[in-house]
Amino acid sequence: MSLLVQQLILGLMLGGVYVAVAIGFSLVWGILNIVNLAHGALVVVGMYATWYLFTHLGLDPFLTLPVDAAVLFLVGYALQRGVINRVIRAPLFFTLLLTFGINLVLINLFLLWFKADFRSVTTAYSGAGLDVGSITIPYIRLAALGIALLLAGAVGYLMNRTRTGFAIQAVGADKDAAQLVGIDLRHVYALTFAVGAACAGVAGGLLSTIQAISPTAGEPYTLQAFVVVILGGLGRVSATVVGGLLFGLIEVLAQSQVPGLGAGWSNAIAFAVLVLVLVLRPQGLLGRPA
Amino acid sequence: MRGLLSGIAALSLLVACGGASGGGAPATKTGEDIILGAPLSLTGSSSKEGALAKQGYDMWLTWINQQGGINVKGVKHKVQIKYADDQSKSDISAQLTQSLITDQKVQFLLGPYGSGPTAADAVIAEKNSIPMVEGNGAAQAIFSKGYKYTFGVLSPANKYLQGVLDLAATLSPKPSTIAMLAADDSFSQEVAAAVNDYAPTKGFTVVYSQKYPNGSTDVSSLVAAAKAKSPDMVLNSGHLAEAIAINKAAKDLQLNAKLFAYSVGPSTPDFVNALGKDSYYVMDGSQWTPQVKYKPSFYLSVADYVAAYRSQFNSQDDPDYHVAESTAACLALQKAIENAGTVTNADKVRDALAALDVMTFFGEIKFDGRGVNVTKPMVVEQIQTDGKHHTVYPADVADKPAQYPTPAWSQR
Repeated sequence: MSLLVQQLILGLMLGGVYVAVAIGFSLVWGILNIVNLAHGALVVVGMYATWYLFTHLGLDPFLTLPVDAAVLFLVGYALQRGVINRVIRAPLFFTLLLTFGINLVLINLFLLWFKADFRSVTTAYSGAGLDVGSITIPYIRLAALGIALLLAGAVGYLMNRTRTGFAIQAVGADKDAAQLVGIDLRHVYALTFAVGAACAGVAGGLLSTIQAISPTAGEPYTLQAFVVVILGGLGRVSATVVGGLLFGLIEVLAQSQVPGLGAGWSNAIAFAVLVLVLVLRPQGLLGRPA
Repeated sequence: MRGLLSGIAALSLLVACGGASGGGAPATKTGEDIILGAPLSLTGSSSKEGALAKQGYDMWLTWINQQGGINVKGVKHKVQIKYADDQSKSDISAQLTQSLITDQKVQFLLGPYGSGPTAADAVIAEKNSIPMVEGNGAAQAIFSKGYKYTFGVLSPANKYLQGVLDLAATLSPKPSTIAMLAADDSFSQEVAAAVNDYAPTKGFTVVYSQKYPNGSTDVSSLVAAAKAKSPDMVLNSGHLAEAIAINKAAKDLQLNAKLFAYSVGPSTPDFVNALGKDSYYVMDGSQWTPQVKYKPSFYLSVADYVAAYRSQFNSQDDPDYHVAESTAACLALQKAIENAGTVTNADKVRDALAALDVMTFFGEIKFDGRGVNVTKPMVVEQIQTDGKHHTVYPADVADKPAQYPTPAWSQR
């Protein structure tokens, strides 16, 4: 019983990581209609930024998160304005190709600068946790979950309570009409992508305390963000939060709680649930019907 | 003017010839260069390991050419190695191997990095009847297909954690239970299967054995499930990233085992750099360590090898086992060519490889019927509390006793 509780807690905390990774992905997909295949690589930029600040300047990894966000905001803005904007009105296939290419370029830049070495951010308090009976709640993962939810709240606030957010939503709803009422399309596009990238940076910073950092560490996260967004539904922050937490729970429980099947099946089970959701509720659990 | 020049040229030619013949009869003649081919992952996901393998090949290449080349029946042949970058991909590796053979006319092959590319290249070696000696593919699946031209100087996958179990049986208090976490690739599964088979013969019980998808980023739920069984030993057969993840999760969840051992990962400096003090006490099975005490019959001693590595690559580091096993592959090929007494008859060299039995700085090299080096033992190394790797088993090659038991995370 206590093992099940332990697994549920771990699942929620893993889900928190997925939420952080998927928020930016969902925003870019929902508003710009870009499935950003370089999202995982942007997460890795955040990982390296936190690693660098931690190792060379002795900054606490959680204090580096605003820096990660700022760096990635600039990178994202430049990337969208300078490169992706050129194919923004082209069919989806072109943006897929372009972001796939950006992903390759980024990974090879990491290889060039950081080699294929594995790195990690290990703080004095990593490994500390709250013991409740036989259940352990690691503080770092708990903090990661909390920050992921805060990040989701912040993006939700930006989108639904600020002029910038309204402009972004307007562009997402109808870009020609948005342009007619005086919204600078290129600026809003770049801004949206920049916010998405900044979220990826925060996610990377959080992940650097949990797992090893290497040039290709972001690869699985592009896929996972994709799944989380489909599971929860496109276009709402709350949907991404539900999708992320649920996917984390499904993965962990499939790894350990399905009798007779090994953890090798966990991916298969998680994706079977995804297919089920697509069949029964194609717009995702909380998505608005198309 | 022209006449003068040609006169000088003729004169200098005469002097040169006279000098050569007058300098005392040379003991050996010089033959044509021997051309070896090596597809290697110089870019891509295994670029780090590929670069290490290349260092190993280059060390032998420098040495053998300093000796004047490989001595075949009194004729010395210098050696060239043609490299090709397989981008860490099996299919590209196979293509490049074929082009090395057809376009670059390589006579013998040195292996690529990793079990995947090695398995792919073995097919090409077989098809072209070109002997390939490899030091970087340990999955036995490579050798179960009945190939006749592929030889691996490595101890096979099933030996990786056997040494750890042998060591554990000698420790006091003797651990009794094992939790085994294994990635689902063929190499890791071979390691895990061998542990499950071998553990009972040493009096251990496997209380938890779980397979996870290769490249998993989160293994915390598996570590939690393992913790529920309170195992004495936590074993992993997987990869560096997963070994780091398991070690982190074990600390996060306060899984206090007496012994942690991972097949791949702890031997690399990355593991220590990434985890710092959390890497202490962790063991791994290693093909080779700079502390082993073999008595080689040719090439360099272990100490000279380490010194040669440092001077050739201008490094303070000890050579990694990837470097050593690659050099060992060259040594096996060199001895086989010498024993065969031919550089042109590939089949004779193959037969000489099959019959080879030599002692090198890397350990004994002797292949079984499949081409696997089953004679050389794996050594167990441990990251000890001085932050360094020490060889702790077998006792006759070890430089330190094992630090055991591992203290609880809260008491470190």
